[in-house]
Amino acid sequence: MEQEKQYRRLVIKTFHIDQVVSDNKTIIELPKLSIFIPDFDKKLSKHDLIKDVQVDIIEPMKHDRWTNSIMDIMPISTKVLGSLGEGTTHTLTGVCVMLTGVDEAGNQVAEFGSSEGMLKDKLVLNKAGTPSDQDYIISFNVTLKEKQGTNRTAILQAHRCCDEFIQEIRNHLKKMDSRSYTEKHEFYDRSKPNGKKVAIVKQVAGQGAMYDNQLLPQEPSGMEGGRSIIDLANVPIILSPNEYRDGALRAMT
Amino acid sequence: MGVGPSTKETTLHHFRDPLLEVVAADDDIDLTGIIIVGTPQSNDEKYFVGKRAAAWLEAMRVDGAIVSVDGWGNSHVDYANTMAEIGKRGIPVTGLSFIGTQANFVVKNQYMDAIVDINKSEAGIETENVGENNMSSLDARKALAFLKLKMREGK
Repeated sequence: MEQEKQYRRLVIKTFHIDQVVSDNKTIIELPKLSIFIPDFDKKLSKHDLIKDVQVDIIEPMKHDRWTNSIMDIMPISTKVLGSLGEGTTHTLTGVCVMLTGVDEAGNQVAEFGSSEGMLKDKLVLNKAGTPSDQDYIISFNVTLKEKQGTNRTAILQAHRCCDEFIQEIRNHLKKMDSRSYTEKHEFYDRSKPNGKKVAIVKQVAGQGAMYDNQLLPQEPSGMEGGRSIIDLANVPIILSPNEYRDGALRAMT
Repeated sequence: MGVGPSTKETTLHHFRDPLLEVVAADDDIDLTGIIIVGTPQSNDEKYFVGKRAAAWLEAMRVDGAIVSVDGWGNSHVDYANTMAEIGKRGIPVTGLSFIGTQANFVVKNQYMDAIVDINKSEAGIETENVGENNMSSLDARKALAFLKLKMREGK
């Protein structure tokens, strides 16, 4: 009988957060995450289509508040060893980042229907792609310059600006004592010679602003170093299961 | 038409995708990989990328494939074409899509006989609430069960 073959091992260690606060420096002291919210005016010179950024910490279930259209929700994860799909990844649980967008004239950043309104009505919790009712949300709201909400360059800037903010937290997450994890999950890319061979095909958006996806970034679920499915001419790209579960696909829809 | 708030799959969704979890955890299934294919604008391009995805599956010698889609309407043109290209090659195929009452397939073919509707809204519509019409673990298990049936029947 043919033997099972293991190709690659990925270890994802989770670190659980149950309090997020704003402070004068970013630091993770489990189970507390303190984030430094920078003065974005200085950072916006390289993102010239962004007018303003506002970061808020939303406590669990304190969702009785206005939100602009939700562009994306992402985990805070970072590579510690190896590249995407192998080695070790650290990820925070109990907290995620929500990117929202509007332009300075009040037009919501959306492509096909928008999700602005009261957060408690517009966000369905406890789904694979949404926070749980116990989770903190770090709200990253971008105000684009007028009429930039359908400009692909401006949307890319919003995602990059948010990614740079998350990178500050990732850099601390990288340095966490590896033994202080909350949960440890091991995954193998492997063949199962006796199993039926099955592939998953995911058809994803790839036509322009708010209809885009980024593949294989440097950091899990990140932007930097990734390739847009539009720039790849939408042709099929194969990911290993471990690459996919290590955040190889960044939604920009 | 394209990707609406209630069907959009966030980056967090991809990070802990129920479809990957279900297929990877099944001992009877040898998961070969995840093919990411885009949704281009022109019909020529739609046919081109769909055919290339099917050619990959044939080259991988898979026994079956599950195809998911993050939008509807215009995206269903690509979806139907890709399903047809896979089916024509004799590869059993099932899928997951938002359909509800609002998003009946604009084009359909004989290979689209086992597609799980991921609608969760009461009215069957794009509610513009993020996460509402996302695929769940149960949807993924149904799509895999359909595929196992189709693979057994060899069609």
